[in-house]
Amino acid sequence: MLPADNPHLTPLIELLEDFTQDWDHEFSGEMGPDTRLLADLGFESIDIIQLVVAIQEEVVHRKLSFDRLLMKDGRYVDDLSIGQIAEYLAEHD
Amino acid sequence: MTKTLFIGLDGCTFTVLDQMTRDLPGEGLTMPFMKSVMERGVRARLRSTPNPLTPPAWCSIMTGKNPGEHGVFDFIRAEDKGGEVFWTLYDARDIDTETIWSICSRKNRSVAALNFPLTAPAPEELKGSIVPGFIPAKHLRRNTHPRELFERIKTQIPGFDPKELAWDFDKEKQAMESLSADETAKWVRYHLPREEQWFKVAEFILGNDAPELMAVMFDGTDKIQHQAWPWLDQALLPSNPQGHDKQMREVCLEYFHNLDGYIEKLVTMAGPDTQVFFASDHGFTASTFVLRINAYLEDMGYLAWAHSDGSDQAIRREASDFANLDWSKTTAYCRTPSSNGIHIRVAEKPGDPGIRPEDYTRFRDQLIVDLLALKDPDTGEQVIVEVLKREEWFAGKHMLRACDLTLVLRDHGFVSIKNLRPVVAQRPHAAGTHHPDGIFMAVGPGIPAAGEVGLRQIVDVAPTLLYSLGVSVPSDFEGVVPDTFFSPEWMAAHPVKKGAKTRASGRRALDQEMDAGEKQQIIEQLQMLGYME
Repeated sequence: MLPADNPHLTPLIELLEDFTQDWDHEFSGEMGPDTRLLADLGFESIDIIQLVVAIQEEVVHRKLSFDRLLMKDGRYVDDLSIGQIAEYLAEHD
Repeated sequence: MTKTLFIGLDGCTFTVLDQMTRDLPGEGLTMPFMKSVMERGVRARLRSTPNPLTPPAWCSIMTGKNPGEHGVFDFIRAEDKGGEVFWTLYDARDIDTETIWSICSRKNRSVAALNFPLTAPAPEELKGSIVPGFIPAKHLRRNTHPRELFERIKTQIPGFDPKELAWDFDKEKQAMESLSADETAKWVRYHLPREEQWFKVAEFILGNDAPELMAVMFDGTDKIQHQAWPWLDQALLPSNPQGHDKQMREVCLEYFHNLDGYIEKLVTMAGPDTQVFFASDHGFTASTFVLRINAYLEDMGYLAWAHSDGSDQAIRREASDFANLDWSKTTAYCRTPSSNGIHIRVAEKPGDPGIRPEDYTRFRDQLIVDLLALKDPDTGEQVIVEVLKREEWFAGKHMLRACDLTLVLRDHGFVSIKNLRPVVAQRPHAAGTHHPDGIFMAVGPGIPAAGEVGLRQIVDVAPTLLYSLGVSVPSDFEGVVPDTFFSPEWMAAHPVKKGAKTRASGRRALDQEMDAGEKQQIIEQLQMLGYME
């Protein structure tokens, strides 16, 4: 459960709204902590590369490694929610 | 006013350019404007970086320094962490020195750089326009600098279509997998509208903003030559091509004819007072065989492949064509086909995998002997004709990240790192590959109609462009302004000004590990570029 005071959630949502504004995805609701990158926003691997760069440049302002978020128990995760990313960023502040 | 127009032509070679600027029987003159450029200007072969590859070579063009100094060696960057090798993707933040775009911006010269690799993300303080290359359409808006430029382009250029302009990875990958006659021609044809889109963007920025340094890179030359080399090299083309050969030749000529038209329009728009320069990051030639370098290293006892447990994940990993090795038993290996190099694993402390530091020189000398000893079983010819030591070819603060040894193959091809046999296999058909000698040309006021002059180095391009703009040349640039490219009168009236050293970029990226999706993406990029077997 994402703490309500997570400081990264709003900047992440703003970034992702800008990120995907002209994409051909069918997501029409409001983005929130449960919104998933692949299932809801239609992300592909190249989009994750670009998102990582954007988070580093615009949210955390450093080149934070994302391997521990993207890998669980030796396997790559199938999807990620905005809340999971926000939580990961908070853990690495 | 645009003082300097720089047209990059990825992979362009005089082998092709010379025939396109001649009146050929049955084909006519494909590039009449470039013919006039050659007649009115100066040209030289341009020696690329030691491994003639797009990212390091364009970075040398953009920085005036060798990869050992600018720090970009390949499409991907790897860190050997003892038990595992981690891979990272290069971007603009990895260029560890000032680019000409930043230097001009700092000197209050307006710039535009279109379609150059590793130009995103652009530094926030950059005063100029960047539309980066190698970025998919979905991400072009956010990576265009300044951000509002994308909206200008989108709303003001009739027919602008980012999907046509930018790389479509899936389409390129599919084309690589299907090499039927019809599909190959379609794939070449796919680049025709791409180049037109880049031309439209260049035309828009040149016409509306007239930056003092206007630079655009056309990369269809490289892509087409990789796939269609047998129809571009007259030595390989049938004397009277028919059927598929004829179709391929025609679409190739159409591409180069269109390109000639775009160049003519840009040069005409810039006006007679503009100095115009052309450069390519490397040349092109025919690759006739495949060298499976890691298989050879296994034979010689330097390398062991990872054990596959047969799981879906392991099978996918094997199929990915990405060096999948048993790191505990590997002392020397090739990481990527595009690197064309060998990394030697040195143990950081006793008990770590790799050779002992004190054994390095002896080990490397023996490895060189073993590499040069490899003979083509069919012809008896030497397969690896030169082995370059990094301290001799990649001097600079990033030297230790270069391959310990860089290989030059007899046909200038890129190695394969697949776990396949035989070690050396003839290709059924010649494939395009990079040649170390690209092109460097100039035309305009102060530039003599000198024809061909002596060989230039890739690091000479950056100082030449700054000189043309009237900007002093940083004292730590490795290249020089070629006096053969300017008339004595021009150089007397415009002496080369030496300036202070370049400034630290301050954007050097920290180490970062790459996820599987990223690795796969890079593999796809390498495949589409023809660096994979």
